[in-house]
Amino acid sequence: MAIKGVIFNIQKFSLHDGQGIRTIVFFKGCPLRCQWCSNPESQRPNPEVGFNPSLCLGSEVCGLCSRSCPSGAIKWLDGTLAFSRDICRHCFKCVDDCPTGARLKFGDYQEPGPILDQVESDGVFFNRSGGGLTISGGEALAQPEFALALLKEAKKRRLNTALETSGVCGFEILAQAASLLDGILYDLKHWSQAKHLRFTGQDNRLILDNLLRLSQMFPEKKIIARIPVIPGFNNTEEDLRKIIALIPNAPNIGVELLAYHRLGENKYAFLGRDYPYKGVKPDEAGFQKLKKTLLG
Amino acid sequence: MDTNLAHKLSPQEERLINEFKGQGDKPSIRPRPLTILASFQAQTPTIDIERARLFTQSMRHTEGQPLTWRWATALSHIAEEITVWITPGQLIAGRAGKLGRYGILYPEIDGDFYPFVLQKLHERQKNTFNIDPHDAEVIASEVASFWKGRTFHELLNKALPPELRSVTYADPEGLRSKFVVSETSSYRSALQWVHDYEKVLKRGFLDIQAEMKAKLESLDPSSVIDMCEKKPFYEGAILVCEAIMVWAKRHAVLAKQEADRALEPGRKAELLKLASICERVPAYPARTFHEAVQSQWFVQLFSRLEQKASAVISNGRMDQYLLPYYQNDLQNGEIDDNRAKELLECLWVEMAQFVDLYINPTGNEFNEAYAHWEAVTIGGQTREGQDATNELSYLFLESKREFPLNYPDLAARIHARSPQRFLAEVALTIQDGSGFPKLINDEEIIPLYSAKGAPLPDILDYAVSGCTEARMPNRDTYTSGCVYINFATAIEFLFYNGRLKKYGHELIGLETGDPTKFNSWGEFYAAYQAQHLNLLNKAMAQQYIVDKIRPERFATPFASCLHDLCVKYAKDLQSPTIEEGFDISYFEFLGYGTVVDSLAAVKKLVYEDKKLTIEAIRAALEDDFLGHEKTLALLKGAPKYGNNDPYVDEIARRIDFISQKRAAEVSQERGIHIDLRYVPITSHVPFGRVVSATPNGRKAFTPLSDGSSASHGSDRNGPTAVLLSNHKSKNFHLTNRASRLLNIKLSPSCVQGEAGVLKIVELIRAWCDLKLWHVQFNIINRSTLLAAQKNPEAWRGLLVRIAGYSAYFCDLSPDLQSDIIERTEHSGF
Repeated sequence: MAIKGVIFNIQKFSLHDGQGIRTIVFFKGCPLRCQWCSNPESQRPNPEVGFNPSLCLGSEVCGLCSRSCPSGAIKWLDGTLAFSRDICRHCFKCVDDCPTGARLKFGDYQEPGPILDQVESDGVFFNRSGGGLTISGGEALAQPEFALALLKEAKKRRLNTALETSGVCGFEILAQAASLLDGILYDLKHWSQAKHLRFTGQDNRLILDNLLRLSQMFPEKKIIARIPVIPGFNNTEEDLRKIIALIPNAPNIGVELLAYHRLGENKYAFLGRDYPYKGVKPDEAGFQKLKKTLLG
Repeated sequence: MDTNLAHKLSPQEERLINEFKGQGDKPSIRPRPLTILASFQAQTPTIDIERARLFTQSMRHTEGQPLTWRWATALSHIAEEITVWITPGQLIAGRAGKLGRYGILYPEIDGDFYPFVLQKLHERQKNTFNIDPHDAEVIASEVASFWKGRTFHELLNKALPPELRSVTYADPEGLRSKFVVSETSSYRSALQWVHDYEKVLKRGFLDIQAEMKAKLESLDPSSVIDMCEKKPFYEGAILVCEAIMVWAKRHAVLAKQEADRALEPGRKAELLKLASICERVPAYPARTFHEAVQSQWFVQLFSRLEQKASAVISNGRMDQYLLPYYQNDLQNGEIDDNRAKELLECLWVEMAQFVDLYINPTGNEFNEAYAHWEAVTIGGQTREGQDATNELSYLFLESKREFPLNYPDLAARIHARSPQRFLAEVALTIQDGSGFPKLINDEEIIPLYSAKGAPLPDILDYAVSGCTEARMPNRDTYTSGCVYINFATAIEFLFYNGRLKKYGHELIGLETGDPTKFNSWGEFYAAYQAQHLNLLNKAMAQQYIVDKIRPERFATPFASCLHDLCVKYAKDLQSPTIEEGFDISYFEFLGYGTVVDSLAAVKKLVYEDKKLTIEAIRAALEDDFLGHEKTLALLKGAPKYGNNDPYVDEIARRIDFISQKRAAEVSQERGIHIDLRYVPITSHVPFGRVVSATPNGRKAFTPLSDGSSASHGSDRNGPTAVLLSNHKSKNFHLTNRASRLLNIKLSPSCVQGEAGVLKIVELIRAWCDLKLWHVQFNIINRSTLLAAQKNPEAWRGLLVRIAGYSAYFCDLSPDLQSDIIERTEHSGF
């Protein structure tokens, strides 16, 4: 039987994550907990239930989910839904029965073959744009065997492959993946070990070390170091200069800055979690200015 | 400039005004065309009755004579008598009516009921027109009185048998469409057309007239055909050649008079130059770019005086036929790019003032916002099959970016070898946000027409005409206004046994019985197919009658004398068929996405997943989903066309297949091409108004899906999926197909900056590979995002893409939506 991985989204017509028009396969599960993360559903490794109250019809009209739940995790209080996550057994019966899509399932066990069939159906767009498959997450390499199996099959199908990674993984895995990749998007978040630890849950030593070794071992591989510019974390010229200074000076490595946005905020609510960056607004003008100063 | 009228402006016009006010000193903006634009842009158009009055005067005196000759005689009368005009400040002479925005009347189409409509014109909700009360009286007493009993509209109304009338009209007069199987021929004398302008520029009308004289001379006096059919044709052709030359020279006289009166020496010199140009063209070949543009405009305008060819006469392959004059003038230092653009823009603002006026209330419903499509074609291939892009192609794009007026409609022909620079400049123009140019695909059209039997050089040289059609100016024959079929009614017929809620108990479709008795998807689909084919059969019969009677009421000697085959065979272009000609008739599919999504929802939810019953769906439809929220949610959650989902795309392909197959049979029987189109313009709105709730979750009487696009808001996988669904629902092995109109909206965050240009280019290349006929990319602007914030239902599919993240705009909270709007502004959109 083919190996399965947990995937939470396959996104078509992706324009900003590697060369050309790409299709991104998002892996679920991440070793980091970045406070500004815009995909909170990507963090935990297993499929989980979400709930979008704006689509819910309420118990008067519908109430199908509470009836279908075998563990009694869904109750109604004055017509609004109360969901006890600690009782939920993750059977997803409520999601199957929900007529509106208010009950959501984040993550699905999938095999490489059917995933790549979907990716390949966009082939006509890859042909002309140099695009292809990007695996992202979460952290794709947190599911190492599955990631490698997917990449191997992708190469067999002659797809251009890219990885978007946090760099938090064993170097062995990273190196094996790199040999199957046409390009790597490598996130760098902060120069300071302490600040990195405080805002993401891990320090930056492994990340920096992996990047250095990667650049030495694959001097021809196209690598783009991507720095998310996050208010209150690294959005000063000085911080960014220091981060850029940590990028190995090699012709195959480029730098990109990514603007902070808070568009994932509602998904925290869907998952019953708090958004650590609640209330932090993006500063588009400031970002453009930094970008111009640092990258020209 | 009165900016209080801003609500009447198109986004393009509004933008131009703002630029005019704010950055009028922008060097790329040429003040002359902007000043002319400012003089009329917010005006309610006026009706000018001169053409109608003069045409009627002449037709009154020639009754009984051959129609083509009568038409030519009427054009001569118009040419001699009609007021000639030069718009103040213009470099180009000629208008078909008074100053400002104007429309003209064609009483031969539907003049019998003018008095009735003109009285109430000011009550119209949209497309209002002003008419001088005295003019309205003249129309009643001199014009309508003559046409009563003689118009095409009356003839058709009488010619349709009861079983066709019942699906066509909602009133005994044939003025109100039923919007089931609608005819569109009774408010236009033909579909779009494009002339061989190059012929006029190269030869001039004196030479063309000489050819007609020679043809007349060579007729055999003992042949009855020659004497009774061909002679009046050539005599008419000689008359119209004379007429346009006379009319053009009257502009030379006017220009001289105005020059005499002009106080400002610069303007005086301009007018004197204009006088000498009008003295020369279109009688003689053009020598300069200015002469060529003026000559082209005279031809186009005279053609409008001749008749109402639907959404007016297109401009043809301007970058091809104007090129020699442009190059020559550049070499001689006669013009530079700025001057060339100014001349073209002078032409655009002249086109923008002519409004396609519909007196017929149905015609009015079909065409929102005074729209007309004088397509200018750029790019494509030469008659030899080489890439045809040239410096002028780029100049047209540049002009559109600098002066983004919605006239003319710019159309770029794309093929597999289109140069990267061309695509990049096309993309840059699209990125600018005015929705131009639209793209037309050589890789679909040329092999298709070739398979239909078109000569390769002719189809390689096609011009885009009207909204999205391809025309071969010396090979195609005229096409009647085509039948529009509301296939969404076939879905409603299934639930109400051949009836529509809108029209009560009247049986309009077939009685296919009680749908709750169908035991399988097979039975349900068979009933749909029966309803579908019944509508199609009625449409084919209706169109046959239209095609048959059209030449009894319309002739077009001017367009005919510019057409090789008409001249060769002495046949008016309005003839139903012409030897060696390419006779096309279209039928229009309304509600493709609506039908396909409705069928898919029933198939999946009733017959496969068994989550709903037909009873439950019918109850929900009857109540317009009120109190059926759960049913509605399930219906909305069913597979939808436009998402690259094979389940539903296969249903779409089958529907296309049965339509084309039936058309192929009728084509064979009639010996012409009858082709399936998906080009509703804005008519999916009025057609939606007669269809109650449908099982795709569409509320009663709301718009149907548009062209071959997905239903509103149901494309949830981005533009690549929309393109793939379109590809997969096509039947490439059949040839009874024509244009599919496809609109794709991109949010600016997807395609910003130089990187964004490349992404659009990549998307265009892939679209070209997919052999889709047409696409128009609209980059959503700030005002649209604000509209989406207010009306999320219509914008469900609007995607926001940012690195590593994507979302539907409408799913975000208003606060977060504002982030996107701000981002859009900051990126210098």
